[in-house]
Amino acid sequence: MSRESYQQLLDELRENVVEMGDLVVERLEAALTALRTVDPEMAQSVIDGDEDINELYLALEADCIDLFALQQPVATDLRFVAASFKIITDLERVGDLATNLAAYAQSADRRLAPEVDVDTIGRDATEMVERSIDAYRREDVEECRAIAADDDALDALCQRASETVARDLIEREADTDDGWAVEQLLDDVSRLLLTVRDLERVGDHAVNIAARTLYMVETDSELIY
Amino acid sequence: MANENQSATAQQSDTDQLISTDPGGGGLSEQSDNQTVDSETESVVQSQNLDVYYGDTQALQDITIEIPSNRVTAMIGPSGCGKSTFLRCINRMNDLVDIARVEGDLYFHGQNVYDDYVDPVALRRRIGMVFQHPNPFPKSIYDNVAYGLRIQGNTENLDAKVEQSLKRAALWDEVKDRLDDSALDLSGGQQQRLCIARAIAVDPEVILMDEPASALDPIATSQIEDLIEELAEEYTVVIVTHNMQQAARISDQTAVFLTGGELVEFDDTDKIFENPESQRVEDYITGKFG
Repeated sequence: MSRESYQQLLDELRENVVEMGDLVVERLEAALTALRTVDPEMAQSVIDGDEDINELYLALEADCIDLFALQQPVATDLRFVAASFKIITDLERVGDLATNLAAYAQSADRRLAPEVDVDTIGRDATEMVERSIDAYRREDVEECRAIAADDDALDALCQRASETVARDLIEREADTDDGWAVEQLLDDVSRLLLTVRDLERVGDHAVNIAARTLYMVETDSELIY
Repeated sequence: MANENQSATAQQSDTDQLISTDPGGGGLSEQSDNQTVDSETESVVQSQNLDVYYGDTQALQDITIEIPSNRVTAMIGPSGCGKSTFLRCINRMNDLVDIARVEGDLYFHGQNVYDDYVDPVALRRRIGMVFQHPNPFPKSIYDNVAYGLRIQGNTENLDAKVEQSLKRAALWDEVKDRLDDSALDLSGGQQQRLCIARAIAVDPEVILMDEPASALDPIATSQIEDLIEELAEEYTVVIVTHNMQQAARISDQTAVFLTGGELVEFDDTDKIFENPESQRVEDYITGKFG
């Protein structure tokens, strides 16, 4: 295979990783919409679509392995393929988290759960993933560092949300005679806390993508942990 | 080698006797711009502002480098970049090329090997060489290994020395029952290991290898690569290779020569192949130039 074809394979890998990122963001947005509007059908479409993301992940993983084995990339090319190999794993995990959110949307009642601004947290987390994919596409190291910095704000939002739920539970006068209400409350609160935790993890995966991109471009491992 | 420290001391003394009668020759204190990768590692070969010409054509330009002892140093670069020329300068093989002219300094343990009083034959005893194509003599396996020792008059315990050399070259088990067979009956990979055994029989300090596996199949190549790693425990190995993955696999340091006979970068091998300093090196090893 000529080096021209090799370069074409590298270009295709970059395009495909960005496409996978776009698909994952789309599914994440759909899951959040399903959660907000309590739309079981939309939630089901996100759950069913996870298989597409998994297949895409496996196909791109195979592409990376082929590049390692057959082209033996070095230097910039090596860092690019290695970073892409790691980034698709993060994207696949974000896809799984979108599926989790969709599953919460299907079983959500939330009539008894405390008010938490899940929309804002979800929007911020989704935006971080979008930005990280764009930073990877453009090799924008400043954006990578900005995403890592913004994750602190997302973590703080998530922390406050979890505290709000805990405080509400403590302050609430439980009607222990009504077994159904207690059960429902625990279900709602559990799902809400899991939702917040999963969105916080979405942000972490965005930081991972930014970290791998930063290393890919500048061999700077400051964000990798 | 029974005792490396004793042996190293003996080799140093031996080197002084063999190649130099000038007590003041070849200090390195004025060097200022060396390409060196590890200041804590003793360098065995050093070049300073080395230029080589073939007639009017300059093959090497201003090469300054320190090659550390007991390591594998790889030299890579496109055809005609001068890497083999540099290798052949180290033990003055270029003396055999009538139109070759060397300027600058090249030191072996502080002795400038191009000083007039240096005996190139004695130098080559200390700095052995293995070539691209195996070149055993049309003699028996035994006689090939014993050849250099006999020329030196070093025939005491000859059988033991031949056996030890063949063992070091990872060939003994395959030939111990047919030492009197012709070396030419061996496979290509075995012939190359025999040439390595022949080179190390005279107990050199440095082994130069000019694409030693390029004519071999993958299995024989793998055996040679394993052997090179083992040899580096006792010898300094300098290898020229066109196979960049081979350089990445077996060497500790890599020197990258580019067109025009220029040494562009010399560093730890993982640094060269993961994050080279020079864009030209990056372009070469990623195949964007060459």
